[in-house]
Amino acid sequence: MPETDISIVIGGPQGGGIDASANMIGRAFAYSGLNVISVREFHSNIKGRHSYVHLRVRESVPRSLKYPADVLVALDPDTIFEHFEDVGPGTKIVYDSGFEKSDLTQARMIMRDTSKRIRERLEKTGHPLTVKGMLEAMKEKGGRPVGISFDEIISAVIKDSTVSRYYNTLGAAITLSLIGIPQDYIIEAIKYVFGSKENVIAPNVEVVKAAYNLLIPDVNIDDPPVKPNKVPKLMLTGNDAAALGKLMGGLRFQTYYPITPASDESAIMEEHEDIKWLEGESSTLAKGGVTVIQAEDELSAITMASGGALTGARSSTATSGPGFSLMAEAISFAGMDEIPVVITLYQRGGPSTGLPTRNGQSDLLFALNTGHGEFPRIVISSGDVEECLYDAVHSLNYAQRYQMPVIHLIDKNLANTTQLVEKVDTENMKLDKPDVYTGGPGFKRYDLETENGISKIGYFGKEIFWMTGDEHDELGHVTEDPDIRDRQMEKRFRKLETAAKEIPIEDRVQLLGAKDAEVTLVTWGSQKGIALDVAEKFTAGGTKVRILYLKMFEPFPSEFVIKVLNESKLVIDIESNMLSQAAKVIRMNTGYEIENHIIKYNGRHITEDELYEGVEKIMKGSVKKVVLKNGA
Amino acid sequence: MAHNFRSDVPIDWCPGCGDFGIVTGITQALTELDLDPNEVAVVSGIGCSGKTPHYLNIAGVHTLHGRSIPYAAGVKLSNPGLKVLVTGGDGDLLSIGAGHFVAEGRRNAGLKIILYDNEVYGLTKGQAAPTMALGMKTKSLARPNILSKINPIALALAAGYTFVARGFSFDTKQLKEIIKKAIAHEGSALIDVLQPCPTYNNINSMDWYRQRVYKLDEDKSWDPVISTNDEKAALEKYQKAYAKSLEWEERIPTGIFYQNLTIPSFTKRLDKVVPNYLKNPPAKQQIADSTGHTIVDPFNTFSEKVVEAL
Repeated sequence: MPETDISIVIGGPQGGGIDASANMIGRAFAYSGLNVISVREFHSNIKGRHSYVHLRVRESVPRSLKYPADVLVALDPDTIFEHFEDVGPGTKIVYDSGFEKSDLTQARMIMRDTSKRIRERLEKTGHPLTVKGMLEAMKEKGGRPVGISFDEIISAVIKDSTVSRYYNTLGAAITLSLIGIPQDYIIEAIKYVFGSKENVIAPNVEVVKAAYNLLIPDVNIDDPPVKPNKVPKLMLTGNDAAALGKLMGGLRFQTYYPITPASDESAIMEEHEDIKWLEGESSTLAKGGVTVIQAEDELSAITMASGGALTGARSSTATSGPGFSLMAEAISFAGMDEIPVVITLYQRGGPSTGLPTRNGQSDLLFALNTGHGEFPRIVISSGDVEECLYDAVHSLNYAQRYQMPVIHLIDKNLANTTQLVEKVDTENMKLDKPDVYTGGPGFKRYDLETENGISKIGYFGKEIFWMTGDEHDELGHVTEDPDIRDRQMEKRFRKLETAAKEIPIEDRVQLLGAKDAEVTLVTWGSQKGIALDVAEKFTAGGTKVRILYLKMFEPFPSEFVIKVLNESKLVIDIESNMLSQAAKVIRMNTGYEIENHIIKYNGRHITEDELYEGVEKIMKGSVKKVVLKNGA
Repeated sequence: MAHNFRSDVPIDWCPGCGDFGIVTGITQALTELDLDPNEVAVVSGIGCSGKTPHYLNIAGVHTLHGRSIPYAAGVKLSNPGLKVLVTGGDGDLLSIGAGHFVAEGRRNAGLKIILYDNEVYGLTKGQAAPTMALGMKTKSLARPNILSKINPIALALAAGYTFVARGFSFDTKQLKEIIKKAIAHEGSALIDVLQPCPTYNNINSMDWYRQRVYKLDEDKSWDPVISTNDEKAALEKYQKAYAKSLEWEERIPTGIFYQNLTIPSFTKRLDKVVPNYLKNPPAKQQIADSTGHTIVDPFNTFSEKVVEAL
C-alpha cells in the first residue's frame, strides 16, 4: 500500500479565518498521528485579499509541498479563480455552490494583473468568466468539483448568527471528512483553536457534525489515514522555533520594530514572557522572564539590543529586509566594538518594500556586506523549522564566544512553515560561558595580547571601561595611531579565523546523499527539504542525486565546499533569488563557478514537482537555467 | 578615598568651549551623590559632545550619530539598577536622533539626557543645528539660516519627559544641582544646557547668555513638581512650564521647568508584565545550570503548541 501523502490547498479572503482553518486541519492530522507541513501565503492586506495555506500530510515527516493538490478548498470565489494551476487529475475542489454564478469582473479583491491573466485563460479556452466557467476548465484538467451549499448546511444548525463566519470551520471539516479523518480529531482541534471561548466552540462543533453528516458520493479517499503515534510534539512555525530557540539559548532581552514576517517572533516571545523551567538545579538560580521591547524604529531596535549586550544580557533583535537596511550602521558598530548581538533576518521578496509578505532569499549578499568598513561577523542560515530552533541557540553562543554580530537568516517561506518537532535535545544544549574579566581596576576591554583575537569581556555595572565607534586603544579610548589601528584590525579578524577553526563543520555545511551521485544540488534555506525530497525521488528512480547544503556563509567553509564540488559531476544551484547569490559566494570564496541554476523570485514557495521537473530539464542538457513559476 | 569621576584622558575641546562646564557639572554631581562608579554609565553619540564618556571615569560608550538614546535605553532596560547618563549635542539629539528623543519621552525609561545646546554643529565646522533660529547668521554660515528652530524644552514637555530643566554651562553650581536632581528622579530627564561654541557661534557667546539667563526659582512661588494625582493642579504646572519654555531673546529661564513624579517609569511598567524583571533583570539572570546546560523547558514554555496523537 502506498504511503499516505495528501496535498491540500485551502484558500479564502484574508481575515476570513484561513489561519484558523489551516490550524484545525493541521492539528486534526497531528491528532491522528500523521505528520504535517504547511505554508501560509498572503497579501500585504488586512481584510479581503486572497490568502491560502498549502499543506502536505504524510506518515513519514513531510519536507516539501507539491502540486497538484489532492483537495482544493475554496472559502470564496477568488480561490477558484486563482488556483487553476493547482488542479490536476483527481483534485477534489470543495466549494460553495452559491459561488457558481460569481463573475470574475466582480471579484474586486483579485489584483488587476492577476484578473487579466485569469480572464485571458478563460477566454482562450472558451469558458465564461464565472466560477462555473473556471470549474469547467478545471474539470478538463481532471479536477472533480464538489459543490456544497455552505449556507444551507450552516443555517440548518446555526440560528441567529452570520453564516459566513463558519465557512472556515465548514471548509476544514469537509476536507477532513473527505479524507476520512474521524470527526473527533477536528472537534479536538476546534477546542484548541477557539481556546476558552465555550460559546464559540459549541456552534463550530455543530457545523463539523453537519459536514460529517453530508453524503458526498465518489469522493472519499480510500484507506483513512489514521495512525496513532502517541508522542507529544511541538507544532511550530519557523518564527515560533526561532523564538523558542532564543529563550532556550539564554536570550533575555529582545527588541523589535513591527515588520512582516519578523514580528511574529517577538510577538510569540511576548506571549511567553513567563518562561517555564526544567526541573532540577534551575530552582536555585536567579531567573526571570524575557524582556521584549517594541522600539520606535529599527535604528533603535538594533542599538537598544546592542546596549543590552553591554550589560551582559544575551540580546537580539529580529527584522526583515527594510529594517535590516536601517540597521547597517549599528551592525558596523557592533563589529567594531565587539558587541555580542544577534540579528535574526527574515528575508522576504525585495528590493525595497518588494513583496512584503512573500518569500525571497535575496538578502544573502547584503547580510554578508551590511555596514561600512571591514569587520568580522558570522552569517548562518536555517533550512527547516527544527534548525531555526537550534541555530538560534548557536547564534547566541557564537555571539558570546566570538564577540561579534551574528546574523541568522531565515526566509519568509520558512518563517511561515509549520512543522512538527518531536524532540528538543536539551541534554546537549549548552550555553557558552564567555571569558569574563575579573581582575579589578585597569580592565582592557580590547586587550591586544590574545592569540585567538578574543579579549576578555566586561560589563557595564561591573567594570569601568570605554567603547567607541572610532578606532580605539586597548582601554577603548579613541586613537588614530597607525600601529594600534593595524593591531586592532588584525585582532578583530583573528576571531573569525578562530570561529572557522572551532565551529564543527556539520554546523556550517552538509553533504546529504550518496558519494557517487551523478547530480549534486547546491542549496540553502527553505529549499533544504524540497531538495531532499527531489533527490530521494531521483535516487529511487535510479539516478543518484545528492545535496550540498550550505548553512554558514561567514566564515565560509571553503575547503569543504571546493572539495565536494571538484568531485561532483553535474552541479545545479537552487535558490529563491534572481542572482544565484549563494553561487556567487561560492565563487568568491573558492573560485568555482556553478553553471546550472534553478531559481525562483516570484515570491512563492518552491514545490517538489516543479523542482523535480527543473532538475530533469537540466539533466537532459537542454538548458542551464530554469526559472520556477508555481504558486498563486 | 573618593572616586575621581574625571578620567585621565586629556580633553581636546577648544579653549572657552561650554562643554568643559558640563563635564565639571557631571563629575561634581556624581561626587556629591557619592555614587558607586559601577552604578553609573554614560552614553554619547557623535560630535564634540560625543567625546564626553572618554573624559569620565565610569563605564562609557561613544556610539553612533543620533543613536545615544536607544543604546542608553538598552543599557538601562537590561540592567535597571544602573544610572544612565546621555550626553549629546543639539544636532545629535534633536536632528538625526529626534525620533529617539521623542520616543524616550513616551518610554520614560529613566535616562538622564544632557543636551549640549550651542546651536551649531561644531565638529563639522559650524553648520546650523536644529536649535538655531530662523534667519540667524553666525560667522561660519555662508548665508542666514533658512530653517526654523526647535524648542527643546517644549518638545520634551510634549514628548512626555517627566523631568525637564535647563542649565547654563558657565553656572556649574546650578548645573550640578540640576544633574543631581535629575539622577535622583526615577523617570527620564532632559537637561537643556546652554553653552557657547566660541569657534563657530559668535552670536550666542558666554556674554550673550550671561546677560539673559535668570533662575526660575528666583521666584519663591515657582514649584514645578507634581507629586499627587490632582489633575487640575498638574495641568496648571504643565501649562506654566510650557509658557516658560517660550521665553527667549530678552530673558532666558534656567532651572527646573517641570517634574512629574506620578508617571511610572518604564522599568516599573515592565516589572508589571515581565516576571521578576526588577529582581532579576536580563543582565542579572542565570541562564544555564552549573554544567552550562539550558534551563528552559521547551514543552512547558510553549505548552499550547504541543500536540499528541489522540
